[in-house]
Amino acid sequence: MFNKENFKYIVCYIILIAALVVLGLVNLAAGSVDISISDVFAAFSGEGGKSAYIITDIRLPRVFAALLLGGALSVAGFLLQTFFANPIAGPFVLGISSGAKLFVALTMIFLLQYGIQINSFGMITAAFCGSMAAMGIILLMSAKVKSMSILIICGIMIGYICTAVTDFIVTFAEDSNIVNLHYWSLGSFSGITWDNIKVISVIVLVCLVCSFLLSKPISAYQLGEGYAKSMGLNITVFRIELILLSSLMSALVAAFAGPVSFVGIAVPHLVKTLFKSSRPLIVIPGIFLGGGVFCLFADLIARVVFAPLELSISSVTAIMGAPIVIFIMLKERRKAG
Amino acid sequence: MGQDKIALRTDKLSVGYEKNIIVKEMNLSVKAGSVTSIIGPNGAGKSTFLKTLAGYIEPLGGMVYLDDASLFGMSDHARSLKMSVLMTDKVKVEWMKVFDIASMGRYPYTGSMGVLSEEDIKKTSEVIELVGLSALKERYFNELSDGQKQRVMFARAIIQEPKILVLDEPSSFLDMKYKLEMLSIIRKLSREDGVTVIMTLHELEMARQISDMLICIKDGCIECCGTPEEVFAGDHILKLYEIDRDSEFLPEFLR
Repeated sequence: MFNKENFKYIVCYIILIAALVVLGLVNLAAGSVDISISDVFAAFSGEGGKSAYIITDIRLPRVFAALLLGGALSVAGFLLQTFFANPIAGPFVLGISSGAKLFVALTMIFLLQYGIQINSFGMITAAFCGSMAAMGIILLMSAKVKSMSILIICGIMIGYICTAVTDFIVTFAEDSNIVNLHYWSLGSFSGITWDNIKVISVIVLVCLVCSFLLSKPISAYQLGEGYAKSMGLNITVFRIELILLSSLMSALVAAFAGPVSFVGIAVPHLVKTLFKSSRPLIVIPGIFLGGGVFCLFADLIARVVFAPLELSISSVTAIMGAPIVIFIMLKERRKAG
Repeated sequence: MGQDKIALRTDKLSVGYEKNIIVKEMNLSVKAGSVTSIIGPNGAGKSTFLKTLAGYIEPLGGMVYLDDASLFGMSDHARSLKMSVLMTDKVKVEWMKVFDIASMGRYPYTGSMGVLSEEDIKKTSEVIELVGLSALKERYFNELSDGQKQRVMFARAIIQEPKILVLDEPSSFLDMKYKLEMLSIIRKLSREDGVTVIMTLHELEMARQISDMLICIKDGCIECCGTPEEVFAGDHILKLYEIDRDSEFLPEFLR
């Protein structure tokens, strides 16, 4: 019985990894300049002229960004869903991403006035403060309102307020550097350098490992706070760990890619359905890989469909993810009714 | 088995939420290996009292002692090795099988990643067999009926191998057959394994049959406490629930 089960999980992992590799290669080859797959491999071995530069310095970091940030966003979503015991909780819905975005925009503009260009760590710190601030407001409200749906609506409103303020600042800021900020505030995996990737991969891997190590307490928490406590879980410590990890991962994505909507809700749902399990030990790595696949696919569509024009990543993930959210809510409603 | 050993004791325990005291200054001693039921009218504070005994909510005054150790002074892990619970909280999980949920009872015993050992699997399977869930073991929990879910959570509590088992309305959602089976299991745990059982019950007839001690709670006080014979003597139960003796549908055992 357990062997059959393990076999099923291995097949699921193979599917995810295969999808990741195929989409990664397609992402490298497709774009405003079409490059054949054989040229992609040539670029890896250090051959090929101009196209090699496009592959190794532009498209490859972007593929890594989509993989790492998409994965982080999905795991953050899974942690938040565990925390709020609600399948439609996620960094974007709860306004955490927008809070991070607002703080990054404010910091960038403030520093630009003094002619200082913000570096990776500055961005992450600002984004982390922003996501913690949004999370703090949500937690304060969750102490007052017991209804999850109202809490989520509050989160969406916080998101709107932060986005509006960010748009306001970006529109009125007078600096040519703001052009970058404008693209970033729409959401995109473009313009990420290898130096950024180094920072991103270290933080994502640390967060991923920490989340994975929390598998056991997460599984207890899935039965509800009371049962988790009765089984020996220190709820206070565990909740702080969940908040810090999910905020850090959401902040990281907001800092480098801007807002990326619905990935945090859609991917955990899809992966749990694929594995037919919600055991954290099994699904956390799957959710990370699934997030990578989802974002690579979304980024491919964003770049290719109207090439050379590029769509914002958030519009693509919204079209792919929002119907899934509606589906989840209808399913919940059916169960309740 | 040391019949007179005290498994759980409360000292001037006051329970409630925030500043509202629901049950005041209770002194209670529960013998190891006994079955104790808490009865009383709706809203008397039975559940709140039980939740405090289980460590779910902090007492507003006084203390609960397990084997002379303060319940709220010990770590969550230390408590989980002594006591397990079945509460009325709804468990909402997706894509979790009956076996997975029941085996969560092994939580205090598994390693840091929660991987089940051979022994954990054996123990889980034994209890699943005991509560008659073998046929449902591979089913998803959220597809079960409320009664089946209740039995899974009951199994989970036993799988935790507690010295004290705390049950809040354990018989709710169960049909007659499983109510009776649950009583036999509770009796077996107490007599053979020396487990101390403390529960709230609505069914007075069941409480009378199964319990070594009954605690009647009314208007925030322990109104009376004693063996079923003592508690069911005379008009006592009728007074506790404020029932008329001439009530048309008064059950046989209260006449």
